Amino acid sequence: MWGILNIVNLAHGALVIAGGYLTWLLYSRWHVDPFLSLPVDAVALFVIGYALQRGVINRIIRAPLLFTFLLTFGLNLILVSVLLLLFTPDYRSVTTSYSGSRLELGSIAVPYIRVASLAVAILLAAILWLILNRSRTGAAIQAVGADRDAAQLVGIDLRHAYALTFAIGAAFAGVAGGLISTFQAITPTAGDPYTLQAFAVVILGGLGRVSATVAGGLLFGLIEILGQSTPGLGSGYANAIAFAVLVIVLAFRPQGLLGRLA
Amino acid sequence: MSATPAAAMPEGEPLLEVRRLDAGFLLIPVLFQVDLDIWPGELVALIGANGAGKSTLLGALTGLVRVTAGQVVFNGRPVTGLRPEQTVAAGLVHVPQGRRLFGTMTVERNLLLGAYRRRDPRIREDLERILAYFPTLQDKLHRDAGTLSGGEQQMVAIGRGLMGRPRLLMIDEPSLGLAPKVVDRVMEVVRAINHDGTAVLLVEQDVVLALEAADRGYVLENGHVVMSGRAGELRHDPAIRKAYLGV
Repeated sequence: MWGILNIVNLAHGALVIAGGYLTWLLYSRWHVDPFLSLPVDAVALFVIGYALQRGVINRIIRAPLLFTFLLTFGLNLILVSVLLLLFTPDYRSVTTSYSGSRLELGSIAVPYIRVASLAVAILLAAILWLILNRSRTGAAIQAVGADRDAAQLVGIDLRHAYALTFAIGAAFAGVAGGLISTFQAITPTAGDPYTLQAFAVVILGGLGRVSATVAGGLLFGLIEILGQSTPGLGSGYANAIAFAVLVIVLAFRPQGLLGRLA
Repeated sequence: MSATPAAAMPEGEPLLEVRRLDAGFLLIPVLFQVDLDIWPGELVALIGANGAGKSTLLGALTGLVRVTAGQVVFNGRPVTGLRPEQTVAAGLVHVPQGRRLFGTMTVERNLLLGAYRRRDPRIREDLERILAYFPTLQDKLHRDAGTLSGGEQQMVAIGRGLMGRPRLLMIDEPSLGLAPKVVDRVMEVVRAINHDGTAVLLVEQDVVLALEAADRGYVLENGHVVMSGRAGELRHDPAIRKAYLGV
């Protein structure tokens, strides 16, 4: 989203949490299995994302970066407030009959939910890759990212392309939120770390390629876990270590690990 | 400089009619009262010094640059101030200066993106047609466009424009930065495209090159059309020879 739209979306975490609440709502009201509600999260957040970009963010798309910070920061506050009004600040979690089950692999036990989440994440990355590299819409989105004037000159409607880009990003955030709600309690204000992590992962991997972002995500996750499990360091240091690595990487490779210089 | 008589104009309805057009950027007007006509099948040169407003005029016609006054009629339809996706769909296609390819995408994808607005089944057929104009691109279809030589990139840029099935192809500075031999090759194809029925508006700083290829020409100076007429006449006009050819 950042590479194409050139905006840093500070409301990303709120969109993640919104997806989580949708999954929670469908589960607690109608006992919809959280994994079955993921497509609903995707569609709902896609629509919200499209409307936000088309109606609000498109207006400042050519403004300096600071304006996009201010606007998405404000959107974040609004979204969090709406979630607070709708769902109260209480912690909510989706606890299914299989929540406690684990996959035993020798001495390692992995919760089934984590395994399923990994599968969904891989599926999402594949879907994103297919959208970007095999569809007409994906070609348009990449063209806009590469050169917005040239994209317009082949007949791409910028406003629509921007809105689709943001909508796809929001849909993926929503699915991520749905997944998160299955292994972690959520509250409306819990989104900010996800904004920060999304930002870090994208930068670490390098802009503009799905494979780079996947690599960035894996590396970032690994560093965090290693940081948590290093003796003598508490889990409180995990983020600090991960971001320190980010800073070091950027000092030597400003385009990210696998990124291309524009 | 002298104005040329209307007798130089071809017969019939023009394809593109620009009337008293003002255009520019916020607080910076660039074009003033521009009149320009192009008839179907013509190759028209737009010449002028750096900063005269040539590229701005193309941008104003395609909708990249804001039109502040005047009107543009294309193919019998008013297109003044339309957005680029609308002018492209109408058949007014602009090949921008400096090629502006999507560098990290393949040549094939660049070409196919040129047909973005089209829904007809003849897109593949047109791709073959472009490869016939530029056979060197045939075995480079799957390379990233950014890795091609300048001449090849210009060919892809023109090809991408053609993929939109233009009625009028506007090419901005195709010779820029290319070796003379490559320029000849590109110009040969521009002529062929025109010969095959597409009207062409050629923007060039290389005045000799442009006037040799064109049927008619317009001279733009400080945002005003100061002269227009048959290319052969302009080429021999003393004022032009003095201003642009240094003779």
